[in-house]
Amino acid sequence: MPTNEVEQIKESLKSKIPKAADVVFKELHTKEKYIESFYIKTISDETVLHDKLLKPFFEQHHPEEFRNYLESIPQIKSFESEEKAIEELLNGTAVLFYQDSVFLFDSKVDRNNSVLDTSVETTIQGPQSGFSESLPTNLGLIRKRYPETFLNVDITKVGKISKTEVMILHDTRFADPDTLKRIKDFLSSLDLQMFQTGEQLLDSIKKSNRAMIPLMLVTERPDRVAVNLATGKVILLVSGSPFAVVLPTVMKDFMSSMADIYQTYWVSRFLQLLRYIGFIISVCLPGLYVATTSYNPEIYRVQLALSIAGSRNAVPYPSFIEVLLMLFMMELLTEASIRLPKAIGPTATTVGGLILGQAATEAGLVSNIMIIIVSFVAISNFVVPINAFSFSLRIVKYFILALATLFGLVGVVIGFFIFVAYLVKLDSFGEPFLTLVQSKPQPHKE
Amino acid sequence: MNRYFLYLVLLNMLINVIIFVPKILIEYRYEGAVMGVLIAIPLGFSLNVVFSKMISKFPEKGFPEIFSIAGKKRWFIILPFGIISLITFSSGLISLLGFVDILRRFVNPEMPYVYLLSIFLTGVLLIIQLPTDRVMYLLEIVLFLNTPLITFIIFKAFTSEFLVWDSILEVGTYLFAKPSLKAIAAASYAFSGYTNLIIFNRIIKGKLKMWNFLVILVLGLINLFTTFFIPIGFHGSDGAQEYLYPWISTADSLRLVYSPIERVIFLFLIFYMGITLMSVSVHWHVAFELIKGTYKESRKKNWAVLVIFTCCTIICAIFLNTILLNKITVHWMIVRLGLEIMIVGLFFIWARRKTA
Repeated sequence: MPTNEVEQIKESLKSKIPKAADVVFKELHTKEKYIESFYIKTISDETVLHDKLLKPFFEQHHPEEFRNYLESIPQIKSFESEEKAIEELLNGTAVLFYQDSVFLFDSKVDRNNSVLDTSVETTIQGPQSGFSESLPTNLGLIRKRYPETFLNVDITKVGKISKTEVMILHDTRFADPDTLKRIKDFLSSLDLQMFQTGEQLLDSIKKSNRAMIPLMLVTERPDRVAVNLATGKVILLVSGSPFAVVLPTVMKDFMSSMADIYQTYWVSRFLQLLRYIGFIISVCLPGLYVATTSYNPEIYRVQLALSIAGSRNAVPYPSFIEVLLMLFMMELLTEASIRLPKAIGPTATTVGGLILGQAATEAGLVSNIMIIIVSFVAISNFVVPINAFSFSLRIVKYFILALATLFGLVGVVIGFFIFVAYLVKLDSFGEPFLTLVQSKPQPHKE
Repeated sequence: MNRYFLYLVLLNMLINVIIFVPKILIEYRYEGAVMGVLIAIPLGFSLNVVFSKMISKFPEKGFPEIFSIAGKKRWFIILPFGIISLITFSSGLISLLGFVDILRRFVNPEMPYVYLLSIFLTGVLLIIQLPTDRVMYLLEIVLFLNTPLITFIIFKAFTSEFLVWDSILEVGTYLFAKPSLKAIAAASYAFSGYTNLIIFNRIIKGKLKMWNFLVILVLGLINLFTTFFIPIGFHGSDGAQEYLYPWISTADSLRLVYSPIERVIFLFLIFYMGITLMSVSVHWHVAFELIKGTYKESRKKNWAVLVIFTCCTIICAIFLNTILLNKITVHWMIVRLGLEIMIVGLFFIWARRKTA
């Protein structure tokens, strides 16, 4: 291969691979010879490079001898075409320019062992591994799932004391430049001392530093990150945290699980519908119970109204106290079962859920129907796939409960719509948080 | 994005159950209501078409933006804007007071009127401050949740065995009675959702196509037939007059045999809570934005407008009872129709000069 062609390949490779932070271009010199290597260090094994490339390079003095060595080791593949080379490069291969030829040196690293299983966003099928706690590994995981030249990586530092490295990833084809600018401005305007994990940003997004609904998706799944990159979202990776932040986030993202794309179409549609119903139930049901028992029992058919009233027969206080009492007990139980060690967890649920509930009904403190409603609310709350969002919903139901106590049925309905209006009002980096039809991202023209 | 236009018109068609349209029509059923409806359909529809076509020549602009170029003299803006916002505000006010009155009668009879009003007022005041596109997104969600179920109830009403078609036919025989102005005004309200375009044109992208108007015409026909004739079919041609809120009483005559909520009236009212909330919010948002268009952006003045809205509502709530509200609405409808014709006419002439 003539020398100028090698130069050409070198230049075009350099221009095609954006100058990301982990792209390494290195020249090695000895008296007689020199070699240039081009690789992405986060997905290449630098010890392999060291043992198989650097050591022989400095040990063998004669240029031809080293060339022969290169041509004979199994890691080396010859250069075929530029596209192939880029593809290989993005998968962790090093490109070597030696004398007048180009070699591909296989230095792919296998990190499957160091990565943790998902524990928060679990799915039945599909990939089961999450992020690790090391920033380069996480970037490598994403690069592995997203081998595209358009993936751009910037690095900034956040936190006055912690000076935590944050990587901003986006696909230059899909991501909206305005949104990206807003996100960068937001990161540089942050006034934090210690920045440990992406979840800390949830509050900082508001001026008052007090947010109720999360406007960012914090995920532990590399596959979710890869899918979101392809839809034009911007990803933040924080050094030392096994969670990535996805921006901008709309409510649809909070209601979708990664399992949706690993299921058949109708199954995933059904599951989504189920989640929205669960969302409405967990927010409205306690309020509805108060409204229909204390204000408008006549709303139900007679048999149902009577059986509800009958089960409340022994309860000595108004329905809203009953609901508050049981919800409070349920919140304690949920909170306790998170804190408890895994071995004791099931015991707490059994004691709390089954025995306590049974005993409370028999003692006449709460009605049977109340127990059903509380468990219904708790279960449907956990149907919401993203934890941060389902935690917010836990609070919202008290707002609607309060309105139901004061205004009855009208309070529930209007309270729900005020809540929806609040969601509609929110926006995440310029994207409306809740609309009925979410516009799809389109690749913008360069 | 033409669906947004449909939502605005559909909202008015749905709300006319609350704003006394069936009551007015049924009152004049022997004295020209049938003919009135038949006249109101082409009248309201053509006003709708003319205004929508004209305003779509100013894409993504509301009245404040359109006239900010034209107006050197401030009174030229303040006077018409004031009148229009008064009309849209009162339109929202009547439906709000009417619906709270209905709720007090049928759902919470022991609750004080103003107390019940306060929660609606809170919701509405929160919503009207949102940007126009967000109000529309909310409207879309509310309609998406409620309209299918309201349609189901109307379907139930049409297929009910207690619907007497003979009564409907009997009223139909008064077709050639001299049309009454009040009936025309009331019936044309179903088409007058287009007036919200005054502000909501901001978010309408692209031209309005023919099928849009076709859908509106068909929906309007069905809607007017339903509002007018279904209560007559249920309560008889004479009996229908006895009710203060003919449609609510009609919903109360329906029964869902297998549903845990047996009485349709509760479902009907629950769905209409959302619809009314949005209808009032949309109308008041128009009024609010128009008033905002007459002065420079200032938080204090915005607050002052909201306080005035609240005070007006509470004063009206204290002084108006159902009968009085009903009587006022009849006259209000006529004034509204007159003003609407005037505004559409003036805007038509102005826009042609401007764009020609």
